[in-house]
Amino acid sequence: MFGLPDITVAVVGGVVLVILAALVYWGLTFRGHD
Amino acid sequence: MTDFVTAIVVALYFIMLLGIGAWASKKIKNTEDYLVAGRQLGFWVFILLMIGTVCSGMSLLGVSGLGFKAGWPTIWEQIFVPLAIGICIIFFGVKLHNVARTSGYVTVQDYLAHRYESPTALRSLSAIAGIIVSLIYLVGQYTAIAIVLIWLFQIPLWLALLIATIVTMVYTAIGGLYAVAWAALIQSLTLIIGVLVMAPIIIWYAGGFTHINEYIGSINPNLVMPWNPVGAFAPPYVVSFALLLGLGLACAPHVINNVLAIKDVKYFKWSPLIAFVIYGVVIFLLKFAGFAGLVLVKEGVFVLPSVPNAQDFIILYGIQSAMPVLALWAIFAVIVLSAVMSTTDRLMLTIGAMFSWDLYKKVIRPNAPDKEVLLLSKIVVVLSAIATMIIAINPPEMLAILIWMGIGTMLATFAVPLLAGLYWRGATREGALASMSLGLVAALAFGFLNYFKVNVLGFDFATIPLHFSAYAFIVSLAAMIIVSVLTKKTHEKILDETQTGWYISKQ
Repeated sequence: MFGLPDITVAVVGGVVLVILAALVYWGLTFRGHD
Repeated sequence: MTDFVTAIVVALYFIMLLGIGAWASKKIKNTEDYLVAGRQLGFWVFILLMIGTVCSGMSLLGVSGLGFKAGWPTIWEQIFVPLAIGICIIFFGVKLHNVARTSGYVTVQDYLAHRYESPTALRSLSAIAGIIVSLIYLVGQYTAIAIVLIWLFQIPLWLALLIATIVTMVYTAIGGLYAVAWAALIQSLTLIIGVLVMAPIIIWYAGGFTHINEYIGSINPNLVMPWNPVGAFAPPYVVSFALLLGLGLACAPHVINNVLAIKDVKYFKWSPLIAFVIYGVVIFLLKFAGFAGLVLVKEGVFVLPSVPNAQDFIILYGIQSAMPVLALWAIFAVIVLSAVMSTTDRLMLTIGAMFSWDLYKKVIRPNAPDKEVLLLSKIVVVLSAIATMIIAINPPEMLAILIWMGIGTMLATFAVPLLAGLYWRGATREGALASMSLGLVAALAFGFLNYFKVNVLGFDFATIPLHFSAYAFIVSLAAMIIVSVLTKKTHEKILDETQTGWYISKQ
């Protein structure tokens, strides 16, 4: 895909997706505190 | 490539920055206004300030240069640098901001002094270490500015440095964090829009995404792999690189101090995701422009200059080749200058804060009136700019090592005392002092031994499997744990006041 080996797409894409999921989870659950 | 249009575009950009400085100076009533913008930064100003602070001289020149040189195994830089903003906000920012609202912290050193009950020793060590690492990093930034101005106007290095120093110094000195933040708003927007327009043109010019990957893969299959089989960017190195970028940048004083300046803690809800996506796209395009540059060089479209750091020129030559219009080069030069100056100004202000607030006001002369501290802040900003300019009159090939040394030293010096202070109630003052001082010394030592390829008792520091900063980080961590276990615990009252414990936020 995109002229790249499958391992590159899987590893790099996988890490990016995990980070995005974690940051979305943070946004949905963070309520702040004052 | 000097021409009238270029000079006018760059001059207008500089005048705009000076105008922001003049406007911001009218909002400064006291030291808190100057150093933390009265804690009034809004959502987008904060996000773009964080992007502008993290996006340094290396982000445009070095990122594409590294992509040109080593291909996809360096892609982790594009993931962990944008993630550093989120790590800073989530793991440091939320708690620091919450405690700062009641304790009135102006700098991260205020927190360290409070949490570790060390108003003099740890504060002074932390401020001095912060000034040292910020100066190292700052020299790298000025060198990057000089590379752009020399390329643009073909002027001597000293003149390029002088121009860059005067402009950045003036608006930072008179406008403080208000000026730095609003300048960052303009600079980051310029950078984002500029890269989103120009990088795809270079990529298209080189044949498009798939063609570029196939081409560089045919030169060397390792260039399209996620890591190298051995050496730099092999899996162990990638892990240490992630630690360096993700955590090292996140805990850098000039980055972390920004979290003290926002108006509302709710801004931390979505800012990590937004910053990661925006800056991630920008920095990925820059990296890929470096891959495109490799194709263009191999196809003989242009030739890089015969200098030791030729790869750092790849984005500049790529844009010249893909868009042979002088006015566009001038705009691109402004984009590069924006990236570099948005870090430079924040570093200078941070040095000013650490000296005038942490050393002078809190240690040397506690009774100093606010006006005196404010004036001293401005003087230190000017002096740090002048001192750095003088140091930066070095060969530009020092750029990469200076910046890596700066981030690596920040990681080894600040990460452990801050993380342990925020989350581990067992961390003690003596542990923090040992961790910070040994981390600083170890980072400078490992960095020196690695860069100069020193061989000690048969051990070759040129071939160590991890980034040098990872070893210094381990030294800092070990010092914190061992010394804290052996020394007297911090008072429970202080631990409660500083919200120390295994949580990010009490909800």
